[in-house]
Amino acid sequence: MTKEAPDEFSRWTKEKWGSSQLPMGGTVPYHTAYGYKTGDWSAFKAIIDKEKCISCMNCYYYCPDSAIIMDDDLKAECDMAFCKGCGICSKHCPADAIEMRRVTR
Amino acid sequence: MSGVRQVVGMTGDEAVAHAAKLVNPDVVAAYPITPQTIIAERYSDFVNNGEVDTSFISVESEHSAMSACVGASLTGARVFTATASAGLALMYEILYVASGMRCPIVLAVANRAFSAPINIHGECTDQLVCRDASWVSLFGESAQEAYDETILSFKIAEHPDVMLPAMFGIEGFIVTHALERVETLSKQQVDDFIPASRIVRDRFCPDENKTFGSLVLQDYYMEIKRQQEEAMQNAYKVTEDAMQEFSELSGRKMEITEKYQLEDADYAFVSYGATAGNAKAVVDRLRAKGEKVGALKIRLFRPFPSMDMFQALSGIKAATILDRSATFGSPGTIVQTDIASALYGKENVPSLHGYINGLGGRVLTLPEIEEVYEMSKEYNNIGINSTTDWVGYRK
Repeated sequence: MTKEAPDEFSRWTKEKWGSSQLPMGGTVPYHTAYGYKTGDWSAFKAIIDKEKCISCMNCYYYCPDSAIIMDDDLKAECDMAFCKGCGICSKHCPADAIEMRRVTR
Repeated sequence: MSGVRQVVGMTGDEAVAHAAKLVNPDVVAAYPITPQTIIAERYSDFVNNGEVDTSFISVESEHSAMSACVGASLTGARVFTATASAGLALMYEILYVASGMRCPIVLAVANRAFSAPINIHGECTDQLVCRDASWVSLFGESAQEAYDETILSFKIAEHPDVMLPAMFGIEGFIVTHALERVETLSKQQVDDFIPASRIVRDRFCPDENKTFGSLVLQDYYMEIKRQQEEAMQNAYKVTEDAMQEFSELSGRKMEITEKYQLEDADYAFVSYGATAGNAKAVVDRLRAKGEKVGALKIRLFRPFPSMDMFQALSGIKAATILDRSATFGSPGTIVQTDIASALYGKENVPSLHGYINGLGGRVLTLPEIEEVYEMSKEYNNIGINSTTDWVGYRK
């Protein structure tokens, strides 16, 4: 899904385009939200114990950033490219299967 | 082209709903508020009866109504909504989102006074204070003008050189609920005037990799806002052309400013909306007494027709500006300050006398307007070139 930025967009940022050249209304002709890997600023990450997961999907629906994905066995996984470490999934997990662990960089 | 004109009795609100029906927008998201309610009610009737192809979104507030309109508009849909007073104030945040994201939404405003004290009657403050939101802004005097401006607004907003939202206002109850004679257009006439679907530049859709509403900080924000100013400047010419085309289509003359008996006038009334009708009636009364007076009606408020103001008022001695809106601590009434800016430093321009009147639906009678006119003349005679007064209230 991740695509190369089109030439136009690369030029616009490199050449610092002005109002007459920029696309109308600040629309970026590049990426949907899926293309922006925003998980790198998380302070915590969700560690999911698949043995404990009961496939209730609470975490899937509560995650504000759609970072929870369900695997083929319908067990929760966390996509760290999007997880901000808010901990909502952990709070809502009835099986206590999600642990929030501090990220050290 | 106009053929046999069909004439129908309609209130201002009904006229808006029926005109919108002919345009047949893809999405209408609206929340009812007096005195706009009939627009939303009639339109939901049309949707229910299958007379239009519109998706009607019943929302829980005006903030949501405008938000839904923005989302729908970004997908390329043609979008319409309507509100008034507190509803418009609640939309205020999203008005800027709509214009900033270049969504050509059309909004009918049933102009109504702001709370408190709570009041449901006519006053134009609600729409006037949205002047900086980068929306094209029009006012209508009658149910007929409400009908015409509904259709016209789509034409202006969706023009590729504009791509800005447009609002038009009619005064609560005075126009929205008054039954008047309205000449209608045929579906075919409206189809000829407005393209079947919008020209869409960027479409919010799953097949396209695009980011809408991204974070734009110090390095690009000003460039994006500047685009809106250029679009707003373009809107003047687009409106002029659209009005010309509409005039030919409907057989009714439509202009950015309407001049009444101004050719040989020494004095002038300047007004907008329903007040303009009273101003013209007073001109007739004063002309009968031998006064050389005329009236200027503003239909397009944003972009403000500065040059038209100068041309129309050039050579006039004193202008009486009737402003049905409240402003506090301002150097003049809202419209007066715009006119003053447009005329500043120019030769041969009138003294400007602004009158805040008609708040909360208060009626300024024709004899009272004549008194106001005499006040303006008196100010002018003693050499005062700018005044602002409240009139028509008990001291």
